[in-house]
Amino acid sequence: MSSLTFQELILELQSFWGENGCVIMQPLDLEVGAGTFHPATFLKALGPENWNSAYVQPSRRPQDGRYGENPNRLQHYYQFQVVMKPSPADFQERYLASLKRLGLDPLEHDVRFVEDNWESPTLGAWGLGWEVWLNGMEVSQFTYFQQAGGLECLPVTGEITYGIERLAMYLQDVDSVYDLVWSETPTGTIKYGDVFHQNEVEMSAYNFQHADTDHLFTHFDFCEREAQRLVALDLPLPAYEFVMKASHTFNLLDARHAIGVTERQRYILRVRTLARAAAQSYVGSRAKLGFPLADNDLAAAALAKLVEEDRS
Amino acid sequence: MSSRTVLFELGVEELPAGEYCAMADALADALVTGLTNNGLAIGKSRVLATPRRLSVLITDVEESAKDTEQAVLGPPISAARNAEGEWTPAAIGFAKKQGIAPTDLHSIVTDKGERLGTIKTVKGAVSVDVLPAIVSQAVNQIPVSKRMRWGRERHEFLRPVQWLVLLYGNDTIDLSLFGLNASRTTRGHRFHGDQAVELESADAYEETLRAQHVIASVEERKALISAQVKALVSDGECAIVEDDLLNEVAGLVEWPVALRGTFDTAFLAIPRQALISSMREHQKYFHIEDQNGALLPAFITVSNIQSKNPQSVIYGNEKVIRPRLADAAFFFDTDKQTTLASKATRLEGVLFQRDLGTLADKQRRIANVAESLCSNLGADPATVNAAGMLLKADLVSDMVGEFPELQGIAGRHYALHDGETESVADAIEQHYWPKFSGDSLPLTPEAAALALADRLDTLVGIFGIGQSPTGSKDPFALRRASLAAIRILLRFAPNASIDDLLQEASASFDEGVLAPKVVETVKSYLLDRLPAHYDEQGVSVDILRSVTAVGTDSFGDIDSRSLAVTAFAGTDAAIALAAANKRVANILAKVNEPIGEVNGALLREPAEIALSDALDRSSKCLAAAVAEDDFPKALNQLALLRSDVDSFFDTVLVNSEDQAVRLNRLALLQELRAQFLKVADLAVLAR
Repeated sequence: MSSLTFQELILELQSFWGENGCVIMQPLDLEVGAGTFHPATFLKALGPENWNSAYVQPSRRPQDGRYGENPNRLQHYYQFQVVMKPSPADFQERYLASLKRLGLDPLEHDVRFVEDNWESPTLGAWGLGWEVWLNGMEVSQFTYFQQAGGLECLPVTGEITYGIERLAMYLQDVDSVYDLVWSETPTGTIKYGDVFHQNEVEMSAYNFQHADTDHLFTHFDFCEREAQRLVALDLPLPAYEFVMKASHTFNLLDARHAIGVTERQRYILRVRTLARAAAQSYVGSRAKLGFPLADNDLAAAALAKLVEEDRS
Repeated sequence: MSSRTVLFELGVEELPAGEYCAMADALADALVTGLTNNGLAIGKSRVLATPRRLSVLITDVEESAKDTEQAVLGPPISAARNAEGEWTPAAIGFAKKQGIAPTDLHSIVTDKGERLGTIKTVKGAVSVDVLPAIVSQAVNQIPVSKRMRWGRERHEFLRPVQWLVLLYGNDTIDLSLFGLNASRTTRGHRFHGDQAVELESADAYEETLRAQHVIASVEERKALISAQVKALVSDGECAIVEDDLLNEVAGLVEWPVALRGTFDTAFLAIPRQALISSMREHQKYFHIEDQNGALLPAFITVSNIQSKNPQSVIYGNEKVIRPRLADAAFFFDTDKQTTLASKATRLEGVLFQRDLGTLADKQRRIANVAESLCSNLGADPATVNAAGMLLKADLVSDMVGEFPELQGIAGRHYALHDGETESVADAIEQHYWPKFSGDSLPLTPEAAALALADRLDTLVGIFGIGQSPTGSKDPFALRRASLAAIRILLRFAPNASIDDLLQEASASFDEGVLAPKVVETVKSYLLDRLPAHYDEQGVSVDILRSVTAVGTDSFGDIDSRSLAVTAFAGTDAAIALAAANKRVANILAKVNEPIGEVNGALLREPAEIALSDALDRSSKCLAAAVAEDDFPKALNQLALLRSDVDSFFDTVLVNSEDQAVRLNRLALLQELRAQFLKVADLAVLAR
């Protein structure tokens, strides 16, 4: 079969997971380092409510920019994110079926689940799982969330993150991400490079050379204050937006090497503190609504637990 | 009695390759213990494990254990009948409770006297009845490094549990764990096998799985991989199959198929450690060398399938390794565009620790201290100086940024590229040695001086700001640093004064940075590491205590004393003299008044005169032996005192009523003790 174009790959994954009961969402309109930051993963992983969703998320990693000169490294790339809560018993099998849907025969290609535990210090989150190897190449990350925002996850969210550029490079057999066929159009082939090469060059220059660090430091402080203020106002969703902004600002400062090693730890801790506060506030806000998307027994148990914590 | 094979299989989502074997072993041990504790005779147990299953087969598990007899004790025989010879209420009550007549009771003799009682037959455990509980308990004893939950329940394991099989011969046994019911249905290989496979019997397990493309035995998979790897290299080539990697690879597959790929020869210009790292750490590939040990541009990967088209798997793996190596090559080239010296200036911007300054500060301190160590270690100061200025520079190189394990090795390459001497390059590389317990020591005194200075700087610095390791938390690896310092000192400067070294290291910090008494703190921490250092040499903690009790000036001194005392400790004389020393120490400890010198005129008993003479004689020889650090000789000398010491204690009463005589005898004991303390405090060794 002829291999999928980049956009077909996204569309296939969307329809596959849509058929698997996921709410297909659109990317978050803020800069984030990974699909996990999207409220549809991080916040939905909290509390007892059920949630199944899939979406593409542009991910920004300022430090990974290479001015468009490295065939594999990008400061802006895509993740395809799937979350299922509670994680279904056949989650791995569903994932493997999705690879088949993309045209990968697991009797020809060597697919393996290799231990890889995930931790996000900034989100106060961790989980256990694997990286999925396709002929030795990591193409996805598979995680069972155990904690998010410092809170225990129950039910557990199962998360799959596809590195779709890598997968596409594999399927299309190209060595440079910029050679990926994004789409065949009546006016010709549009490649990944046509869409994003200039962006990589310019954004690398900005990230590494021109980002105004003085202003970014101030901006970080501002985001921190806003997040705190909004948590105090019981507005967890806007508060969480400022957590994400603070996190991205930190990433920009980091790319500029503006933060020393120990200072770095302190900044991570500051973001984590905000993420925890927003997470707690979010759970509180859902509790007020009675955890409408939860199974009755789990909703009742979670509410009872919150009442007990309030008392002690 | 008939018996059958038990099979228990715990089916899981892929377990970490480094842990599944130990988990299966623990499961098997617990099952065997559980069965034997129930009195059930068993045959052999066989542990089978793959990433997706922990299985135990136990042959010849008897269907039921033999009945056993158990004594049930009632009241003492004396309280069984009253004066009239009638059964007492106690005896009647006991008999009633046992459901028998008092006349059926008889006397049973016990440690605590004769009792009224009865012998009861206890039914032997029935395998099928007790197995569910035994298995449940055994599963609880599987070590789980990090527990996780999945789905919406609270079950916990290392990865989600998917299925359970529990068979006794051909029969299934009911068992419910992790919200799952055991059955005879297992699963085959993820891709080659069936998703539901009925097992006819426990004994058919291994072969059924094999037909499903699952090699259940770890050893068999390892042997298979080794053989496949060997078959992929030709004469004159050698595939490097290290145990660690083999174990890990065997833990990533159920159906191993080794395949050989290649990479561009141009990449061989990269330091080999970077290539090996890329292949081994990231990709779990075996690397291949030629007859001379030079790396070949090839690798062997072990896949989990018999691919329809093995070329696809090889091609894919080559595609993965290429950019990794290209990255390494790129880093190596860009790093070489600037000198190490210029990289060293960038250390000013890299924090070592908030209170202890940057890596540049650390490097300066190391260089200073190393320079002062030169005479002690017989190192060339010019080389130490030159290497000292470049020591940590490779930490800011791109290569080390990507491959942290290349620290030192990268520095060596860049130093040579910059035209530094071999000995400077050696010193840069080897100052990280030993990297782990049992690793080799630096080869040159220059490298040793820098390695030692680096360790001392970390120890004094981190302890100086109060970040001492606690419990299992040792983020700055101070234990390892201490053991390395001890080994380096023993090899290169055994007689160096520990106090002076630590003083020197702490003097290189700015005033007020380090807490007072840091030298004492670090010294006692170092001394506390001695048991770990001597663990394999059979030097006991007590012997180390006996030696450090009399002096801790240098590790060489502690070392020669400890080894001498260890050799001596097994002898009869040692045991007797240790006891005597303890006795003397106890006596002296209770004395409040000042004790003077031994006065010959006050010696009365023959045994005390003899001991005094013996001490006089030994004094000189002992002093000479100690002066030459010949502690075995010194101990032999002291051993000669044994008979005189023994007869002294046998015949002489220290606490004489004559005060002057008493004090003189105490003086004699004090002299005896002083002579022993020149070598070690043997009192510590007394049983």
